[in-house]
Amino acid sequence: MKFQLSALLAAAGIMMSAQTYADTLDNVVDRGTLRCGVVLDFPPIGYRDANNQPAGFDVEYCQDLAKSLEVEAEIMPVTWSERLPVIATGRADVVFGATSDTLARARTVGFSIPYAIYFSQGVVNAKSGISTFEDIQGKRVAAALGTMPEQEWLKIAEQWGETNLYQSYQSENEVFLAVAQGKADIGLTTNTAVKAITQQYDSLDPGPRMPWTPDYTSIVGKRQDITWLNYLNLFVTHQVRSGRYNELWSKFVGADQAPELRIPGVLY
Amino acid sequence: MFDYNFHWRPVLRTLPDLIQAGLTTLEVATLSMVIGILLGLCLALARMNMTGPLKWLAVTWIELARNTPALFQLFFFGFGLGAIGINLTPYTIILAGLSFNCAGYLAENFRGGFQAVPDTQLKAARCLGMNAWQAYTRIVIPQVFRVVYHPITNQMVWAVLMSSLGMLIGFRELSGETQFFASRTFRIFEYFAVTAVLYYVIVKLILAVSRLLAMRLFRY
Repeated sequence: MKFQLSALLAAAGIMMSAQTYADTLDNVVDRGTLRCGVVLDFPPIGYRDANNQPAGFDVEYCQDLAKSLEVEAEIMPVTWSERLPVIATGRADVVFGATSDTLARARTVGFSIPYAIYFSQGVVNAKSGISTFEDIQGKRVAAALGTMPEQEWLKIAEQWGETNLYQSYQSENEVFLAVAQGKADIGLTTNTAVKAITQQYDSLDPGPRMPWTPDYTSIVGKRQDITWLNYLNLFVTHQVRSGRYNELWSKFVGADQAPELRIPGVLY
Repeated sequence: MFDYNFHWRPVLRTLPDLIQAGLTTLEVATLSMVIGILLGLCLALARMNMTGPLKWLAVTWIELARNTPALFQLFFFGFGLGAIGINLTPYTIILAGLSFNCAGYLAENFRGGFQAVPDTQLKAARCLGMNAWQAYTRIVIPQVFRVVYHPITNQMVWAVLMSSLGMLIGFRELSGETQFFASRTFRIFEYFAVTAVLYYVIVKLILAVSRLLAMRLFRY
C-alpha cells in the first residue's frame, strides 16, 4: 500500500514536472486549438470577406498549420501593433501578419524562416504626375505606421532632406484614402495590395516599385520557444514542398508563380 | 502566462525624442485651449443672449462637440474635409479637432459660470454708468473666470490626453512617436509604460502651474 502510494505520488510528480516543461507545441496539441493572431487589414493576405468572415492567404495558412497539428484553428484578428503583445502575453500561439523579420524585432520575438515575400510599391494619385521612383522627389509620401516601407522610405527621405513631406497613418486603408483624397501624392504599400486598391478607387493608379530589397516576412512565435519555431520552420518548408504555397498565392494574389522564398547567396 | 523580459535601454536611448514629442503634445493642447476658451466664451454668450442663426450655430456646435466621439470629430477634420478637397496637415487637423471639442465643452462651463454670477452685478455696473462692454469685461467675466477656473484646468488635462488620438491621423505627438518606435523594435510594453509616465508628469505639471496661477490670480 505504501509502495503504491509513493509510486502514485512519483507518477503524479513526473506528470507535473512534464507539465512545467511543456512548450507551445505541447500546449496546442493538448488544448486541441491553435490560436492564430492574423492581421485582417491587409488584403488579399488578410481581410474579411463579404460575409464578414476572416479570409486570405494568412488565414488559410493558419488553418493549414492547425490541420498539420490535427487541432482546430481559432482566428484572432489583431492590429499591426498588437502582433507582439498577443505573443508576449500568451493570448496567441502564433501570429501571421506579414511581419518583416528585422533584426531589431528579432531581439523581442521569434521568427520562422520566411513564409512570404513582398515588394514595396507605390499607389499614386492619378493627378500626382509620378511614374518613376525619381518623380517622388518633392512629393508628399504616406505609409502605414511601423511598416517596412515606412522604415525604408524614411532612410531615403533623410538623404533627400524630405522627411517633412512624409505622413504616417494608422492603417493601410487610411493611407489609400489619404492618397485618393490628395492629402498625399503617393502611398507606399506592398505589391500584393496594389491591384485590388487601384481597382477600388478611380483616383488611384499603380505607382513605381521601390528600390529597396524585398520584404521577407516570417511567422511570429515566442522567442524562447525554439521547439515551436522549429516546427514552424518545418511547416513553411512543407507548404512549399506540397505545392500549397503556390496554390494559395495564386488563389489570393493572382500571380502565376509565387515568389521564390530562397534568399540568393544565403545558405540557411 | 506572461513570459517576457523587459529591455529598457532602447527606450532610454530614444527618450529625448519622446520628450520632444511630449512638448509637441503640450504645445498643441495649449494652443487648442487658447482657441477653445475664446470660441467657448463666444458660444456661451451667443447661446444665452442671441436669437436666430447665431444662437442655433452655437447650440449645434455645443451639441455636436459634446455628444459625438472626439475621434469622429478628428476624422471629420481629416478625412471628412479631405473628401471635399480641403486637405489640412496633421497638425492643423488635431488643432482644429481639439479646439472644436474644447470650445463645445468650455461653452457649457462658461454658461454655468455666467449663471453663477448674479444678474444684479451687471445691473449695478450699468447703473454706475458702464457700457455693456465695460460691464462684461470688468465686472462679469472676471467673476465668471473665477468660477470656471478649475473646470478649465480639467479641460486642459483632457486636451492633453485627447491629443493622443492624433496618432490615428498620422500626427507624431507623444503617442504617435511612441508607436513609431514601438513598432520598430516591438518593445511595446516598455515604450508605452514610459509614455504613460510622461503623460502623468505633463498632467501633474499642468496642475501645479494652474495652482500657482490660481494663487496669484485669486488673491483678495
